[in-house]
Amino acid sequence: MKTEKGQPILNIRNLNIWYGDKGILSSLSFEVQEKQVTAFIGPANCGKSTLVRCFNRLNDFTPNFKFTGEILFKGSSLYAEQDATTVRKQIGMVFRRPTLFRGSIHENVAYAARISNVSRTSELNAIVEKNLRRTGLWNEVEGILDETPVQLSTGQQQLLCVARALAAEPEVLIFDEPCGELDPIETVKIETLMRELANDCTLIFATNKRRQAARVSDVAGFLYGGELIEFGATEKIFTNPQDSRTEQYVTGRMG
Amino acid sequence: MNSLMSRPNPKQKFALQSIALLTLGVVSLLVWNVLKKTYLSDVQVSSVARVSDPVPNLLGDIYFFLSISFLGVLLGITCAFYLEEWLPETNWVRCLIEGQVSILSGVPSLLYGLLVVTVFLPYSGAFQRTQGFPPAGDLNTASLQVSSFQGDTTLFYIAVLTFVLLVVPRVIKATQEALRSVPIPMRESAYALGANRWQVLTKHVVPLSLPRVIAGACRAMSCALAVSALFIGIYISGYTIQPGRMSGRFALFLGAALVLSIFSSFLSQRYPLASTRHT
Repeated sequence: MKTEKGQPILNIRNLNIWYGDKGILSSLSFEVQEKQVTAFIGPANCGKSTLVRCFNRLNDFTPNFKFTGEILFKGSSLYAEQDATTVRKQIGMVFRRPTLFRGSIHENVAYAARISNVSRTSELNAIVEKNLRRTGLWNEVEGILDETPVQLSTGQQQLLCVARALAAEPEVLIFDEPCGELDPIETVKIETLMRELANDCTLIFATNKRRQAARVSDVAGFLYGGELIEFGATEKIFTNPQDSRTEQYVTGRMG
Repeated sequence: MNSLMSRPNPKQKFALQSIALLTLGVVSLLVWNVLKKTYLSDVQVSSVARVSDPVPNLLGDIYFFLSISFLGVLLGITCAFYLEEWLPETNWVRCLIEGQVSILSGVPSLLYGLLVVTVFLPYSGAFQRTQGFPPAGDLNTASLQVSSFQGDTTLFYIAVLTFVLLVVPRVIKATQEALRSVPIPMRESAYALGANRWQVLTKHVVPLSLPRVIAGACRAMSCALAVSALFIGIYISGYTIQPGRMSGRFALFLGAALVLSIFSSFLSQRYPLASTRHT
């Protein structure tokens, strides 16, 4: 949180991933800069989710998951030198479909604080209010904090999930197609929020909507067939791509 | 699992079929052996129907069901949690236990009765104490003692053991299904927030699967209730029949059945009929 904009926070070197014998990603090398939005675009099944799930070690639970290469998080190896639980507290994640935990809205947002043994009510209330305000959900749910979040709309539920992830105070937040289930207006809300969050947090973003990536991201990578075809500033990827496949994809002729 | 769609080729199919036939043959021989030994030769089946005191019987039943629910359900649930949450999918212990569970939960209750008559009763020493068929006047007293759990309790323990064996596989199956029904995104979201395994288990998996686990346990118990005629069989046979110790041939059959069941549990893991696995 102290370093200036533009420093690499994640360093990926020659990353190869397999599920069993099936290769998913091959020889990926890139850097994710701090406090920027890094987007990964590509057609379905190109390995976007697999790639972003590597950063918070969620792939640990996938049977037959194998990888070679190195992922450095702030200089130390994510897999060899760090504890998975600690990593996941620093690198949060928002999924495609909002998953609500049991209990009230308050309990949902306070989840990360609770599992880190914060138990004072005043502290928890402060955390809940702060993060709901950050996501712009506070005014809508202020009166119903002790009620179940199931009554919220899908977009609000997704915002709640973002608030819940933010409550863990992550340094990096991964969005795995956060708008996959949302309508255009809710999508705009999430996109605006992501731009705001980029001021104090690094964002990694997987999507198959090209325009969304163009709107939101600073840096973009095009994944195709398990390879990182092109990686660079969003502007360049979308206006002046170097590879013909990237050009075909961003102009809509492919995928 | 990548072997999701793989079907055995003709050779393997032939091997599987011959194993199935062999198992069937062994089981029929076992049944025949037992029937010949007990019911067809020197049997004295009691035809004396007596009215016994309902209160000790009722107490005995309650005590009995408390025992099997405590032992069987607890054992089954812990076993299922261990299998599902701790052991990796390709672990051979898991493969073995799951295979045995599938076999055991399909075994008809009659075979459990045979197990009692051929293994538990002769080796438990119950006969030495009861000395076979008691004089007519004593039967009532004996039933009172067993039911109220005061006198010779060996028969009671045998019944509990048998029913634990009957209940455990069903509880394991039901609990495993319940644990698999917990949505993966739910677990992943919790993990992604930095929860450790224990927190995910206690805050999400247990509360979400508990209704199904309880329902499964109840179903297993009611299943036990349904076959409690077997209990009467055990109870009566303790007084009426006196099978000898196992013959060498019988032990051989038993061993063969065990080996076949272990073998087939590995085979069924290799060639599953349908995948029950998540991801």
